[in-house]
Amino acid sequence: MSDDPRGRSRRRFLQAATAAGVTVVAGCGGQTGGTETAGDGGTDSSGGSGGGDSADDDAAVGQIGSGRSPFGDRSLAGGMSMREMPDLSGELTLYSGRGEALVGELIGFIEELYPDFTVRPRYNAAADLVNQIQTEGGNSPADAFFSVNAGALGALKDAGRTVELPQEVLDMVRAEFHDPDGQWVGTSGRARTIPYNTQSLSAGEVPTDIFAFPETEALRDSIGWAPTYSSFQAFVTAMRVLNGDDATREWLEGMQALGVQEFSDEFLVSQAVADGEITAGFANHYYIQRVLAGRPNAPIATAFTEGDAGAIFNVAGALVLDTAEDRTLASNFVRHLLSAEAQDYFARTTFEYPLVPGVDPIGELPSIDELNPPGGLDLTQLSDLEGTVRLMRDVGVL
Amino acid sequence: MATDQGTTQETADDPLPLGLTAAAVAVAVAVLLPLVWLFRTALGVGVAEAIALLTRPTTVEVFVNSALLVAGVTAGSILLGVPLAYLTVRTDLPFARFWTVAVSLPLVIPSYIGAFAFVSAFGPQGAFQRLLAPLGVESLPEIYGFHGAVLVLTLYTYPYVYITTRAALKSLDTTLIDAARTLRHSRREAFRHVTLPHIRPAVAAGSLLVALYALSDFGTPAIMQFDAFTRVIYVEFNAFGRDTATLLSLQLVALTVFILALESKVSGNERTAAGGRSGDVVALGGWVVPALVLCAAVAGLALVVPLGILLTWLGDTSAVGQGLAFRPEYALNSVGVAAAAALVATVAGLPVAYLAATRDSKIATLSERATYVGYAVPGVVLGLALVFLGTTVATPIYQTTFLLVFAYVVRFLPQAVGSLRASFLRVDPALPEAARTLGRTPVGAFRAVTLPLVAPGLLGGAALVFLTTMKELPATLLLRPSGFKTLVVHIWTAYAAGYFGQAAVPALILLGVSGLSMLVILSQEGYDVR
Repeated sequence: MSDDPRGRSRRRFLQAATAAGVTVVAGCGGQTGGTETAGDGGTDSSGGSGGGDSADDDAAVGQIGSGRSPFGDRSLAGGMSMREMPDLSGELTLYSGRGEALVGELIGFIEELYPDFTVRPRYNAAADLVNQIQTEGGNSPADAFFSVNAGALGALKDAGRTVELPQEVLDMVRAEFHDPDGQWVGTSGRARTIPYNTQSLSAGEVPTDIFAFPETEALRDSIGWAPTYSSFQAFVTAMRVLNGDDATREWLEGMQALGVQEFSDEFLVSQAVADGEITAGFANHYYIQRVLAGRPNAPIATAFTEGDAGAIFNVAGALVLDTAEDRTLASNFVRHLLSAEAQDYFARTTFEYPLVPGVDPIGELPSIDELNPPGGLDLTQLSDLEGTVRLMRDVGVL
Repeated sequence: MATDQGTTQETADDPLPLGLTAAAVAVAVAVLLPLVWLFRTALGVGVAEAIALLTRPTTVEVFVNSALLVAGVTAGSILLGVPLAYLTVRTDLPFARFWTVAVSLPLVIPSYIGAFAFVSAFGPQGAFQRLLAPLGVESLPEIYGFHGAVLVLTLYTYPYVYITTRAALKSLDTTLIDAARTLRHSRREAFRHVTLPHIRPAVAAGSLLVALYALSDFGTPAIMQFDAFTRVIYVEFNAFGRDTATLLSLQLVALTVFILALESKVSGNERTAAGGRSGDVVALGGWVVPALVLCAAVAGLALVVPLGILLTWLGDTSAVGQGLAFRPEYALNSVGVAAAAALVATVAGLPVAYLAATRDSKIATLSERATYVGYAVPGVVLGLALVFLGTTVATPIYQTTFLLVFAYVVRFLPQAVGSLRASFLRVDPALPEAARTLGRTPVGAFRAVTLPLVAPGLLGGAALVFLTTMKELPATLLLRPSGFKTLVVHIWTAYAAGYFGQAAVPALILLGVSGLSMLVILSQEGYDVR
């Protein structure tokens, strides 16, 4: 049943390692799957941390709860296991703005865990789902919404379509990672970063102040951004909140004068940096990790600005809708996204920052406490995209 | 059957047949229903804000950009589509059946994939640049911007002109050309005086589809970094500005109405008789090589570039997404909904097209023009409009395949209507009248005489609806039943997560399945497809 990767090339092995989890979970069929824990070299070992549950659950939890990543093996350390959480039963319609390729396995895993639990996921872009939920109005079949950024969560909150989450769910993450009114909770984090090409620049040459970029001649006609991408717009929104519209306008105009190149998303920005097409760019941290996972020797590295809009830490998160048929079930499902297994899954497969203390990020990244996000900014302030879009349009960026 | 070209009596003054008119109006109303939501939501924008939005300087610039894009793409499509249709129908081109499928297929490639592939291939530091670097090629011409957008959109929309023109050429009575030749007309003169008038309505119908597609396409301008109308709408939707986005979409609808009026002026209702006797084809002789080169170059650029790029990713990327294993049911789902949409659109299009072609009445014309509006509205806007209808008046069919197929019909009906109308214009009214005098009922005459004559156009229209439904994404994502995946949804799932490599397999399957389906459609023509 378990995928024995020995004898493959290293790269094939890395490809197979994450896929192995799927094989086992999907084809578990009541037998004990092979658990790949740290350092056991892909051999079969039955059961994870036994605790009176059925072997089936154990094997599955062990499977997703620890395993390999392109950056080495890890085992589950901190957090609360799904097995300590309330059982799920019934039907749940989940509108997911996070892609099936990224979170489908996790959602399927939670569904498999409980025999009486069915999830009906609908995958689409987060903004499209927000528009869909608003258009559906009170007749929306959606129970819960899983989003790629706080902006989409805030938009539904502002539209009055959310309900308050239980305190014990909110308490699982630090206060700055959930809505102050308890309407949504962050499930994983993404830091704004500066991907740069290590053959063209040394770490010390990347400005640590976002406002120094327009004056950096080394980046003339050789820096990229993705202005239609929601995380980039969240960053510009943060700049408006922290520094005001005039300074933001000036910065955008300065970047245009520098000859910034436009891309349709930040994975492409990072790819272009790795290809040497541009020297540096603006991107969420995991895009760099994703390039490196595919091309371990790519000349790309991560730099951060310090304490300004260029270093904001945004979250992907979840909320329960006012149209939810069973609000308890919906909020318990959200709680499962904060379990140790799910948090580790985000770290390993999407290269994000886990938000639950005790689960570390992966790859060559500083820990969450070493990051230097700007003070005095709350994530809900990032949902005013309208003003940002208007400004970007005035300047001619959009 | 030999045709006796009698006097072409105009039936335009006949009273409108009640049943047909009612059917045509019903179809028009059904496809206009989604607009209700558009107006309703746009009203959510305050008056002052609306005026500011519609009169800001960038609006003018974007308007000009969109107009230039539409003009460029339409001209390009005619220049490619008409010669290709002529070559595959009227000449002894080798492997004509293969080329017919090959040059129709670009219609299947979702525009964002096409655009993306071109950027990857021809962009700075792209695949071609890397191939040519050892030869000392420093940089390739810039692909981004206006000409890149025109190139890519043309390559993926010229099949509209190709397929409609091909149907017209199929029904060309070649004895007319022979007659012209005996009158000492050169080939070129015969083409100008006989063939061209015959195919003009079809070329106009195809060009209209191209123009409105270019106006409403989201993906290409975004990837080519060209500031067209749709890009502005897209940005608004992404910023949760539903009201503003719908207001801007109404601007797009206004522009559509203008283009529709313009096209009515240009194409007109000129009748050209079709006998349908296909005589000898033109021997290409020494022209066979350039002809083959043209077919190969167009199909090659449009198909091989994206597939080549997808294949390089397949071998190159080592990032593997979870749960992206391909399942045959995706292909079956795609073919199922596309076939249903093609069938419904063709049936719904018959009364509309027939009346518009045979009667000079306002109702007939308006019904026919109305069917184009849904096609020119971007898919995501139409999808949301149907989400609204589905959750208010059609609750039982919301998120079922019924509403999904209805969405496809609203989006793609004009492709069937345009093709059919051009076909009905080619039917000499004397022919069904002759059948009437021989004792046939109107319906009987239609079935025995008219239908066989319009068969190529009918199947051409069905093929257009089928191929474009195969690649439809935005409305599919909003309206599909939960868990229902088509080939394109599967491609999007991989693509959106950045697993380009895994988008390659379903993209290949999409082309294969569409190609086979095209062969089936072509073989139904009842003609000898050489």
